[in-house]
Amino acid sequence: MTGVSQDRVQRLDRHALVMAVWLPAAFVAAALFHHGLESGGAWWLAGSFATVLAAFGAHVIVNAVLGTDFTPREVALGLFAFALAALAVVLSVLLTPGFAGRQFWVAALGLVALAAAVILYMVIRYGPRAAFERFDIIRDNNPRRASRLPHRGGRA
Amino acid sequence: MTVLVIAALGLLAAYALYIAALTARAGVPLVDGGGDIPGWAAMFTGAGVMVAGVGLADHLALVSRFGLQAVHPAMGLVLGAMAGLLVQKRLWVAARIAGMASPGEALGRYYGSITLRIVMLTLAVLFALPWAAHILSGAAPVITAATGGVIGRAPAVWGLAFFLFLPAVVGGWRAGVLVMALQSVMIAVLFAAVSAFAEGVLPGQGFLSGGIPVAEGILRDMIPGVIQPSAGIGKEVAQGGIFTTVGIVSTALLFVGVALSPGMLYLAQTTAAGRSKGFGAVWLVAGMGGIALLLLVPFLAARPDLRADLAAVEPLAALGLVLIVVVAAQLAAAFFATSGTLIVVRELVFPFVLPGLTPRGQRLAVRIALALAYAGVATLGAFAPVASAVFGGLALPFAVQLLPALVGLAMVRWISRSAVIAGLVFGLLLVTFTDTLGLVLFEGLFLDLPWGRWPLTIHAAAWGLAFNVAVVLLVSIFTARGVERGHRDRLHDEFAARWQVPQTRGNGRTALWSLTLIWAFLAMGPGAILGNSFFSRPIFAGTEASLGVPSLWVWQILFWLIGTALVWWLAHRARLGQTDAGAVRVIDLPDPAVAPGPARAPDWIAAGLARVTREAR
Repeated sequence: MTGVSQDRVQRLDRHALVMAVWLPAAFVAAALFHHGLESGGAWWLAGSFATVLAAFGAHVIVNAVLGTDFTPREVALGLFAFALAALAVVLSVLLTPGFAGRQFWVAALGLVALAAAVILYMVIRYGPRAAFERFDIIRDNNPRRASRLPHRGGRA
Repeated sequence: MTVLVIAALGLLAAYALYIAALTARAGVPLVDGGGDIPGWAAMFTGAGVMVAGVGLADHLALVSRFGLQAVHPAMGLVLGAMAGLLVQKRLWVAARIAGMASPGEALGRYYGSITLRIVMLTLAVLFALPWAAHILSGAAPVITAATGGVIGRAPAVWGLAFFLFLPAVVGGWRAGVLVMALQSVMIAVLFAAVSAFAEGVLPGQGFLSGGIPVAEGILRDMIPGVIQPSAGIGKEVAQGGIFTTVGIVSTALLFVGVALSPGMLYLAQTTAAGRSKGFGAVWLVAGMGGIALLLLVPFLAARPDLRADLAAVEPLAALGLVLIVVVAAQLAAAFFATSGTLIVVRELVFPFVLPGLTPRGQRLAVRIALALAYAGVATLGAFAPVASAVFGGLALPFAVQLLPALVGLAMVRWISRSAVIAGLVFGLLLVTFTDTLGLVLFEGLFLDLPWGRWPLTIHAAAWGLAFNVAVVLLVSIFTARGVERGHRDRLHDEFAARWQVPQTRGNGRTALWSLTLIWAFLAMGPGAILGNSFFSRPIFAGTEASLGVPSLWVWQILFWLIGTALVWWLAHRARLGQTDAGAVRVIDLPDPAVAPGPARAPDWIAAGLARVTREAR
């Protein structure tokens, strides 16, 4: 293939695979969530969070098989969606009568489970120290040469 | 519901266009996607096409009408997976070692036959136009019903065709396959979710509590005999339903037709090396496909007004049901239309009509051809649905007739060109005259025939294949050592040297074929009649067992599982499911039917083109 960017093609193939994981799962999760909200069934809401968790697991498997990691755009989109969902739960508690009594705990537990799954993944994937360092931006503010030593974290 | 349907289909169309744009930006060739389609996409697409390629809307309608006997032909997924494994790996190898990069070129060069090239092109057109149009035409009423008539049948067909055309024309083959892979995953997920939701939530009787409701006189959970002396559909009504055991096994051959269709062969030839063929055949085609068509379809068919029932409880679940049918139709139509067009362009336009096109000119030619093809699909589907059904109905039975030719290329070197062509002539004629087109034409022009469609409840595909194989064997006896044998041997010698199948000799081969034949006899052949009561009235027990589900369904599931294990054997133990780019050694295998030298257009094509383009002096 002359004139073809192999790197770009590989990224495209992976991107399509990731989309093939998330789009059907998102549809099913949305349907379960909607039915849970309408019928008041906690198990339907739990099912929707379980679907999202399953999709996240499938995404991790895709990364493992292809030898890749979450891209910065995927991380940003994930964080944005999570923040949006958390905001929606808070607003629902404040504005929707009856939500706090019927669905709050399931929604909150679902969000906590998602966060726990991400943290668990990071700990398994990078180890506790490296996983923490991904968030430890304060340490980057005043880097010293000693911080690059292997026994002190060894960050580049 | 209207807004939901339009939004969902619009989102899917936008996604397809997005992937196509990314593919175009990467500069991937339109016509073959670079020849290294990722394995995961090929295996999901292949499995989705196997399920949707026989017409999912038609299959659901048949199961609603005939009950579990119409579910049984889905066992053909196992046959289709086996047929695919037998020929697709060797086709992939032939593409890499001898440059036979498309199915017509492979058969044409191997047998040294222009006729076979023309047969393959005709088949590609049959799949690309009338069959794709028939499938889209079947999905359009679903959209019309779901939108309460807001979107009519013809606009639905045109809309679907247009939004399938856009990604194909922008991104070509690779983008198409990547999008189809997503559609396949979506169908699988929605099948499971909607079936579980319907059975778990909806009130009233479902499949487990009430079975599939059918008209009086139809056996809803039994096979109506081994064979019936029926003159055929249109002449005589078969007692208890049309799916006798021979009806089942002959209808199951349609899945072999999908596996051997030009598009599936092209997909196999343009896929990257790896284990995807085996994984896809075992876990996706036989496994997931079997779950969908054997286990889950009865749940969907058991409720006559399922969409309305679901919409009353959860609109998104009803949307899911609509998407199963519509996305399956989109998948199959896009696959056959795109692959057929690309095959025609690659095998006819580039080498013979417009040889010497620049890469830019080739891209333009591909795009014009795709535009013409999709316009044809939309026109046929919207305005000529009956003609599409009649002509398109021949596509799968015709594709089954390629089996001897492809097995000859892949495995059996003594099958000769004359044997294959003679077999094809008989096979295609038998199919035509036991299916609608031949009967309508002959009876309209000459006189009434004593038989209708599917005489003796045997599908046209099986009538054709039986005569085809008999003629191939007979003619091969006399022509196996003909002058062109040395040409065929060159390819098979290379197969034997570097691509040997471990279990094509000795006890392994005997066991494999024996088990497959026994399985086929009991799973779909005459032995399947035992399934009617095997688990509800066990022999020698003298009593009735209360299973809670029909005995035939248990029989189907049991033999589907055994069949899937046989596919695993072929794919992994016999290594027909894995390819290795490292073992490729290029050989020179010129086409004895085409003069050596640079490709040039035949004089009559060149003269015709010159008149149109005013180049004649």
